[in-house]
Amino acid sequence: MLTTEAVSQLRPRLSLRGRLYLFSGAILILFAINVGTSLWGSFARNESLIAYQEAVTAAQLTAELEQNLQNKRQQVLVLATLRETTDEPLDAAALGQAFADLEIITERLRQLGGFGGEDLEAYYRRLHDSITALLAEWRQFYDGYNEAMPLSDVESAVSYNDTQQRLQELDQRQSFVAVQRANAIDATITLTDQITVIGFIASIAITLALVFAMIRSTNASLTRMKRGVERFGSGDLTYRIDAQRDSGEIGDLARTFNDMSTKLQTAIEEMNTARADADSANAAKSMFLANVSHELRTPLNAIIGYSEMLQDELGDGVQIDREQFHHDLATIIFSGKQLLTLINDILDLSKIETGKMQVSREVFSPAGLLVQVCDALSPLLLQNNNRLTLDIDKDSMRDMNSDRGKLQQIVTNLFSNACKFTKDGEITVSARMTEDALIVSVADTGIGMTQAQQDRVFEAFTQAESNTGLKYGGTGLGLAIVREFCAMLGGRITLESQPDQGSLFQVTLPADPTSAPAGA
Amino acid sequence: MTGSEPIILLVEDNEVNRDMLVRRLQRAGHKVATAGDGEAALTAMREQHPAVVLMDMNLPVKDGWTACREAQQDSSIAGIPIIALTAHAMEEDKHRALEAGCSDYATKPVDFPDLLTKIAAQLDAHH
Repeated sequence: MLTTEAVSQLRPRLSLRGRLYLFSGAILILFAINVGTSLWGSFARNESLIAYQEAVTAAQLTAELEQNLQNKRQQVLVLATLRETTDEPLDAAALGQAFADLEIITERLRQLGGFGGEDLEAYYRRLHDSITALLAEWRQFYDGYNEAMPLSDVESAVSYNDTQQRLQELDQRQSFVAVQRANAIDATITLTDQITVIGFIASIAITLALVFAMIRSTNASLTRMKRGVERFGSGDLTYRIDAQRDSGEIGDLARTFNDMSTKLQTAIEEMNTARADADSANAAKSMFLANVSHELRTPLNAIIGYSEMLQDELGDGVQIDREQFHHDLATIIFSGKQLLTLINDILDLSKIETGKMQVSREVFSPAGLLVQVCDALSPLLLQNNNRLTLDIDKDSMRDMNSDRGKLQQIVTNLFSNACKFTKDGEITVSARMTEDALIVSVADTGIGMTQAQQDRVFEAFTQAESNTGLKYGGTGLGLAIVREFCAMLGGRITLESQPDQGSLFQVTLPADPTSAPAGA
Repeated sequence: MTGSEPIILLVEDNEVNRDMLVRRLQRAGHKVATAGDGEAALTAMREQHPAVVLMDMNLPVKDGWTACREAQQDSSIAGIPIIALTAHAMEEDKHRALEAGCSDYATKPVDFPDLLTKIAAQLDAHH
């Protein structure tokens, strides 16, 4: 009988199909055993019937033979007496009848020989010899009946008695063998009946056990599947079914489900990442708008405030202070220009971000451009009382093929930053050309930046400190634009700075990006 | 408060804007004191006991939000109403200023008549 432990050990190795095959096979084998024992039992019953029939036939034959012998003997004895008293011969018909009787006895004896098998062989042989001898004597009697010569003994008394005894022995033996056979057959019938009963009971028990085991194991597999589907469905994306515990179809199904789970998990994670990216892009956009709003409002505050104030003063009818009035107008104009710069910067940045900023290359002299920019911006030096050193390595300088306007804006932004963040200091603009690149540096002796500030300073709307714009002016867009322009022109910008030690911005641009990449 | 004319303290680091607002407030008949950063603002509040403070929030040394919170902690000046004045115009900026302890809020560019109304409301509420 299968125990539950054995079944549970079987479970991982057997597929559903395997289980069904095993189940069907076991039932078929049990069925075959039952049929076999049943057949054996009915065969034994048949045997038993035949054996009884044989025994009865043999007994009948024996009785008939005995009867025949008795009759014939009486006949012979009567004839012998008749001969002695009457001496009358037998006619041919009577003789023929007598010989025919003897033939019948011979035939009966022959028939009796067909029964019994080895067990009775010896008895039969002795009987056969004895009867053959008796019959020979009787045949001799009949042959010599009509002869004139005196008859010897009709028979030797020994012969008939002997035959009689042999016949009895055979009969007894036949009975004994028949009883023995019947006993053996009865035992077989009892055995097959027992086997059949046990077989049926075992079949039912094993079938029930197999059904139970199959339901249990299949149910456990399906429960694992169900739990997996439920857990995954309720959002536990990392849950996987223990597919090792099932082989075959259910194991395959579990593995397929796990594969699907992995793919779904990946897809959902990608979707979440994409959504997070979109959210953060949205947040960045909102931040950008908030920053733009803030930056636009600062100069507008001055423009509107001063304009309204001047309007009020004009309306008062009080004597106008012309100098004050002029100064106020200059403030309005300055704020307006600052606003314009800001709007241009925002548009530039927007163009860069949407990929609409074009690079228009031309051949020009960078040395000439630098001199021109520094000249134009020299008024900025006055604001904070700074000095400018222009250090151009004339020997290395030559024409370059790049975007003149963008290089001009790069240098302008770096220069005005240097002026903004340096007081009573020195600003050095230097330039030289290598074989394939222009290197421009703008150094100042101003407030400098910490490492953390340097890390953020190239991001749009980011200044070294949140109040830098108010303290020093500027939009926080200049360096972002410079970095983007450098990248667009195939170059790069580096920054070295320390707090209170000044800053050094160095721009490297390829002299002709069509011939060779910029030097590293 | 004594019977003397109430002082309005303007805290603003940008000289152009400070100059402009001082002149306009004076023209409107107010007595104005100024401070250029959050720390100076707290000092001025303790020394001059202004009736109302107009405070820019993006300030050097100590920003407006910190200055407001510290003013709330100091019982001698905790009662002085502060009107936040900032170019941050989003709704959450307004909440942020009010949470820091400001009594009211005005965005730049300043709507001057509206600012005068807010100042008057604060003066009325506290006298």
